[in-house]
Amino acid sequence: MKQILNIFRKDLRRYWRESAVSVALLVAYSWNDVRGWAGERNVAAYGAIGGLISYQFLSGLVTVLLPVAWAFLIVRVVQAETLVGDRQFWITRPYEWKKLLAAKVLFVGFTINLPLLIADILLLAKAGFPPTHYVGGLLWMQLMMVLVLILPIATLATVTASVSQMMLAVLGVVLYMIGVAALASVIPSSGFSGPADSLDFILLIVTSVAVILWQYAQRKTSGSRWLIAVLALTVVLIIVATPYNAIVKHDFPQLEPGELLPVQMALLPAKTAADANVPDKEKEIVIQIPLSTSGVADDSIVVVSGVKVSLEAPNGLRWNSGWESPGISLFPDQKATQIDFNLKRKFFERVKSYSVKARIALALTVYRDKNRADFVTPPGEFAMPDLGFCSAGTYLREIHCRAPLRTPSSMLITSDLSATTCPAREGESRADNREIVRDWHQNSDSLAEFGISPVKNIDVYLWDRHDGARRLVAGICPGTPLIISSPKFVRSTRMELEINSLRLADYRLRQDEPGASGFGIVLH
Amino acid sequence: MSVIHTDNLVKKFRRVEALNGLNLDVPEGAVYALVGPNGAGKTTAIKVLMNIFGPTSGRAEVLGVDSARIAGRAFTAIGYVSENQELPEWMRVGAFLDYLRPFYPSWDRDLEDDLVRQFDLPRDRKLKHLSRGMRMKAALASALAYHPKLIVLDEPFTGLDPLVRDELIQGLLERAEEATIFVSSHDLAEIESFASHVGYLEQGRLQFSEELARLVERFREVQVTFEGTPRLPEKPPESWMQLNSAAAVVRFIESRFEPERTRAEIRGVFGEVRDVTFSPMTLREIFLAMAKAGRNAA
Repeated sequence: MKQILNIFRKDLRRYWRESAVSVALLVAYSWNDVRGWAGERNVAAYGAIGGLISYQFLSGLVTVLLPVAWAFLIVRVVQAETLVGDRQFWITRPYEWKKLLAAKVLFVGFTINLPLLIADILLLAKAGFPPTHYVGGLLWMQLMMVLVLILPIATLATVTASVSQMMLAVLGVVLYMIGVAALASVIPSSGFSGPADSLDFILLIVTSVAVILWQYAQRKTSGSRWLIAVLALTVVLIIVATPYNAIVKHDFPQLEPGELLPVQMALLPAKTAADANVPDKEKEIVIQIPLSTSGVADDSIVVVSGVKVSLEAPNGLRWNSGWESPGISLFPDQKATQIDFNLKRKFFERVKSYSVKARIALALTVYRDKNRADFVTPPGEFAMPDLGFCSAGTYLREIHCRAPLRTPSSMLITSDLSATTCPAREGESRADNREIVRDWHQNSDSLAEFGISPVKNIDVYLWDRHDGARRLVAGICPGTPLIISSPKFVRSTRMELEINSLRLADYRLRQDEPGASGFGIVLH
Repeated sequence: MSVIHTDNLVKKFRRVEALNGLNLDVPEGAVYALVGPNGAGKTTAIKVLMNIFGPTSGRAEVLGVDSARIAGRAFTAIGYVSENQELPEWMRVGAFLDYLRPFYPSWDRDLEDDLVRQFDLPRDRKLKHLSRGMRMKAALASALAYHPKLIVLDEPFTGLDPLVRDELIQGLLERAEEATIFVSSHDLAEIESFASHVGYLEQGRLQFSEELARLVERFREVQVTFEGTPRLPEKPPESWMQLNSAAAVVRFIESRFEPERTRAEIRGVFGEVRDVTFSPMTLREIFLAMAKAGRNAA
């Protein structure tokens, strides 16, 4: 213990300035975080929208600077007894590697984790949430900070000898991640990685721990670097070799005989006039397939988690999009939706004059809308069940809430636009008929979300989705009636829609039309 | 008993063989100088002994411990100073010594004060603001203050002015009685003044290793004078180096000098000669001769 404290004191003496900077940034972050809770009240307090901009600017700045300061501190303290090289004085002194490592852990815990924990406790208390109720979540946040930020940075610091080498390593990691993202983007269905993402994360943690322990115990830098390279290669192999289609088939099984489809879909006529001549500048052609939807049970929501479009032309040409994730929800009252996908111009030109056979596979997730409760938005600050403390105003027309540790795993806000109490602005008119709008917040079920602040900001807002000339008054203001519910997962399933005769030219979306890019389903 | 013992030690860096079957024994209490030209493998040998590098093959023992296991507490008995060691330059001399003190149970505060005084070290000056010589003295003070059983110095005198060298050597010699000193150097003149044993390393292989007094004793520059012009032997004795002649004189270096035996050998090779003189050689001259012989053999 004496050795651990001796090294720790030495590091603290040397890096007190860096530690002070990171604590100051944490204080700035916390102060600004508290400002952010005020929501619309910021507007009044800081001079209309300028206050919000200054909050957003400072928030963005500190959110970047604070992790950078922490990373810098970690790199400096690890490299104070650099593990790379053969000239360091300390390697021929009676340092015991376990004690050296413990001293570094103590330093990081004292200068990063402890101030963060204290800040988190104070923020929770300031936000009106008793910290003692959230001990598990606070510790979970600390663990996530260690796994996601501290461990990878410390790992790179153990295999680099200086800050400049570290920056080169970070640059390498960034380039690698860009490469991996580019690779994933060209591999069909790679968005449906299932357990592969968890495997990547576990491999990252295991490799980081192994490299750190190995470096401190043996200082075999080239071996450690190889280990990191093997991890990088393994991640690439996982991306390439993951059986995405099998994962979709497993996660979204076909309906059993006798089971009802959660939603009925049928092709609608093309809404735009056919124009097969594509301007030269268009390299990709957007095809928009309008579909009618019906049959969603009254208490259900069907989320289109994945879509795969396969085309087969009479001249033998075939194409399929792979599984994509539009993440669109179909509610019982909705009548139509549309599927957009991009085709290479060359392919389109070769099949546009034919009637192709299209097969649209849909991966669906069915939710049951439970615990529906009527709620009239109160004035001032109020408590929202299972969420936190909220307020609503007429300027931003939204409910701004602060929640402890995490946003709700599933919270659906439903409102009728014709019942909004928000005052009309210039050019807006009130909805005459029932016009349902929704805002659905979904999140994981973990103890706490990863982040610096334990107080999560949630904005609930509803808007008029009509793109016509008439703008309706929308939003949530004091007095606006809402229905709050928490949809629960029921099942996942797969269905297929077969269209035997589809003339793609009829469904081409002209580039001057809105929404003419990407892949997705648009609700109407 | 050997404080350092190596057995067929090999260290390769990819294809470069820095140590090529090194067999070395450093007796307890010796001031052992490992000498050799640049690139001979002296620093590599020391780094393997200190477990900074692992050996490719063979083994080494330091203070009875396998060098591959030298770590942590083992260094409480070893003082290591190297010319290119990276010290914590941001520290002041006093803070550096204060920091190291708790690592060593045998740290002697009085000895530390003596060394600081002897080396004239400014406690309040940062290491980065010290001259090279002063940094070496600070490193040496920090390596002597805990009475190490073994002091290992890698090229400690390189680039130092004569005054600082003398101070370092003086400081070392005062501790020589309680420790074994193993020093690598190519500064032969300095080594000669205090080493008790010497080993000559060339191309990763130890050419010889023996007591310095005995080494100096067995090397002589020999000058043989003849009545007429002598004929050089086609196969001179193996112990003769740099054999050459000029007019009636033949010169060579005898590496196994024993007065009577050498005289008899000269008579055996040349017959009757007019005169023979034997001149003692400095360590530098001996090593130059060795280096030349090695180069010629290569």
